[in-house]
Amino acid sequence: MQLLFLIETLFIFNGSLKEYSTRSVCVCFRAAMATAPYNYSYIFKYIIIGDMGVGKSCLLHQFTEKKFMADCPHTIGVEFGTRIMEVSGQKIKLQIWDTAGQERFRAVTRSYYRGAAGALMVYDITRRSTYNHLSSWLTDARNLTNPSTVIILIGNKADLEAQRDVTYEEAKQFAEENGLLFLEASAKTGENVEDAFLEAAKKIYQNIQDGSLDLNAAESGVQHKPSAPQGGRLTSEPQPQREGCGC
Amino acid sequence: MSFFRRKAKGKEPERPADAKASKAQVLPHSPSLSGRNHHAILEAAGPSHVAINAISANMDSFARGRTAILKKQPSHMEAAHFGDLGRSSVNYQVQETRSRLSKTVDQILRDNVAMPYFIQFMETHIAEHLVRFWLEAESFRSTTWSRVRAHSLNSVKHSTLAEPAASLESPDSPDSPNDPSRPLTLDQGDEEDTFSSQTSSRPHTPIKGQSTSGLSDKLMKSIERDAVNIFTKYISPDAARPIPITEQIRNDIVAKICGEDGQVDPNCFVIAQSVVFSIIEEQHFSEFLRSHYFCKYQIEVLTSGSVFLADILFCESALFYFSEYMEKEDAMNVLQFWLAAENFQDQLAAKKGQYDGQEAQNDAMILYDKYFSLQATNPLGFGDSVRMEIESNICREGGPLPDCFNTPLRQAWTTMEKVYMPGFLSSNLYYKYLSDLINSVRVDEFTGGNANTTPEVDRNSSITEGSQAQQGTKKAAVKILKNFDEAITVDIASLDPESLYQRPYAGRMTFGKVNELGQFIREAEPEPDVKKSKGSMFSQAMKKWVQGNSDEAQEEMAWKIAKMIVNDVMQQGHQGSPEVKATKVHLFLSLHS
Repeated sequence: MQLLFLIETLFIFNGSLKEYSTRSVCVCFRAAMATAPYNYSYIFKYIIIGDMGVGKSCLLHQFTEKKFMADCPHTIGVEFGTRIMEVSGQKIKLQIWDTAGQERFRAVTRSYYRGAAGALMVYDITRRSTYNHLSSWLTDARNLTNPSTVIILIGNKADLEAQRDVTYEEAKQFAEENGLLFLEASAKTGENVEDAFLEAAKKIYQNIQDGSLDLNAAESGVQHKPSAPQGGRLTSEPQPQREGCGC
Repeated sequence: MSFFRRKAKGKEPERPADAKASKAQVLPHSPSLSGRNHHAILEAAGPSHVAINAISANMDSFARGRTAILKKQPSHMEAAHFGDLGRSSVNYQVQETRSRLSKTVDQILRDNVAMPYFIQFMETHIAEHLVRFWLEAESFRSTTWSRVRAHSLNSVKHSTLAEPAASLESPDSPDSPNDPSRPLTLDQGDEEDTFSSQTSSRPHTPIKGQSTSGLSDKLMKSIERDAVNIFTKYISPDAARPIPITEQIRNDIVAKICGEDGQVDPNCFVIAQSVVFSIIEEQHFSEFLRSHYFCKYQIEVLTSGSVFLADILFCESALFYFSEYMEKEDAMNVLQFWLAAENFQDQLAAKKGQYDGQEAQNDAMILYDKYFSLQATNPLGFGDSVRMEIESNICREGGPLPDCFNTPLRQAWTTMEKVYMPGFLSSNLYYKYLSDLINSVRVDEFTGGNANTTPEVDRNSSITEGSQAQQGTKKAAVKILKNFDEAITVDIASLDPESLYQRPYAGRMTFGKVNELGQFIREAEPEPDVKKSKGSMFSQAMKKWVQGNSDEAQEEMAWKIAKMIVNDVMQQGHQGSPEVKATKVHLFLSLHS
């Protein structure tokens, strides 16, 4: 939408000249987005939830800084980090909100669930209790986020195979029963960390493409720069009927 | 406390005193939210003289050095020391903990701006009588109490003059003119008798100034009338839209309205109100928050011309955009610190004093190490005085208090408010947020509003058509896009050559045509008449989108309504032929000229 308004300011025209200029400047603008300093087309909001000490902050740090923080202090409230990655040829920025796992911060962190496009639910494969608490985290996530939020289950500390307390198969089954993506990862070695964020991003992007995620809803957790019209949206009929704006 | 690497001697006697000092510092609050009361700064600038003297009296020389620093603090509040922070917003704590964009049921019911949207929403759910009952009952209750109290105050005044009081009161009860009117105001068959029997007894009871039974008759009768009105409209079984309450509650209300001495209990509707409140909360409220009516309310708040930082920081969706903005401005640390410290204080305050001091101290130390210490990983540039204040707050006996980070929080708040928020409010990101909100409204109303012929539907569908047609809102857009800072360069690689040759909107090169409704549709661009608008161009533009109250706009809307009716009929037959769409586009083009 924005780029088209730009056109109006730059040119005076009518009739057919208009759409010619529209198209060319429209395309130019889209191009501009690709080369401007912040050259991503979307921003997805993620949250990371899970018991304390499972490695949420380490996962985030490994993802954004590609380093393992051996003795990071526990998170107070929330923190956030960002990184740009590429999904299906589109540059997408992830704004990841890392929440505190301690019970005492549960009430304040709940307010950050709203409007998340994706959620990483993390447990520690060497501590069974963190796996057992997943149902409570999942309930919170389902209640407080959109129905279209993508939730991915991550079993962290996969490098500590010797102390494994939760098998891959049972976690996989839990994930399937609840419609979650699932990966085992290690923030220490970096194994599967990128994939964890990437898989969720792919799913979200797919939802956008097939229309199950309404980009225009203010609480979709997605900011998008209007560029190429997807599926001819900008030029076609009013959007197909969708549910509420999710504000 | 070895983690503070300074020569820290004699810390213990300082702790209670400093805690007192910092408490004194945050106590003076200026009440106004929007008016930055600069005078209040001087009041809140530092510990009061009394406190300082008390502290000094108890300290050794080293400690006195510290209080000297504390005494110096007023100077730190001046513009010079704050640099960009300038004037600190003193009224930080209590008022600014909620956003006008996120509401609870209670807040909506007491908010005049949000109420119309809520009622509209409830109307679509055929449940607005609940809201109206609650509102009327609430106003009945509060006005009745104030009238009773005002009357009692007056009677107390009068009762000090004993005889004149009796003579004063009796003329106040004009019974005869009132009695015949009583049956007329009552619709309830049951209560007529009870009421009239009581009114007949009333003139004979001696009126004493002091007790509440000495309320003047007129007052009591009008209170009863009000109560009965509400009863008839909502509670009686014969009411048009009775609220769903049990028989027992209904009888209870009847009993309270017809009190023994003719007194109507102002709290008679309270139980019914709470029943209605919980119905609204459980069944309707979360849907309201997801509806486009709430989005419209949010749009109204955001385009009202005065958006406060609290509105942004405490509303999730706005915070999403704001964090992105802060990251672009390279100021994430300020926001992160504010979030972390605010969360820390919130959860501590929520415990109401029953928390583990050691745990809280550890948490606070994490924040200290990250943002305050001399070896901080993310230093924010807080001055020495603030750092020392934080140190003493954290090392307090028994753990830090829930207000331990108040000073730096206030500074961070002011920084964000003065330095970053103005930029954010005129940024593309904010525009994007607003247009997302507006689009949500549009989509939703198109979904549910096709049968509606209210102007809003048409206005918003015009936005639909406008954006689809890429022409409708150009006037507004011209004013909005003043901050367009992305360079336009051509990247050959992403040019799609084919698209240059596509003409989805090709039309005849005419100036205009007359459509089937007899209206002349201009195809050429209208004259660029630049209208000077007051207020920010941005908010004017948004207002135009969302409200559009002028006469011409209304006339155009009438055209649109007519057009929509015609279209509906035509679509039955043509199933959305291109003809119809093209004319739609042209019609809306003319509207925004």
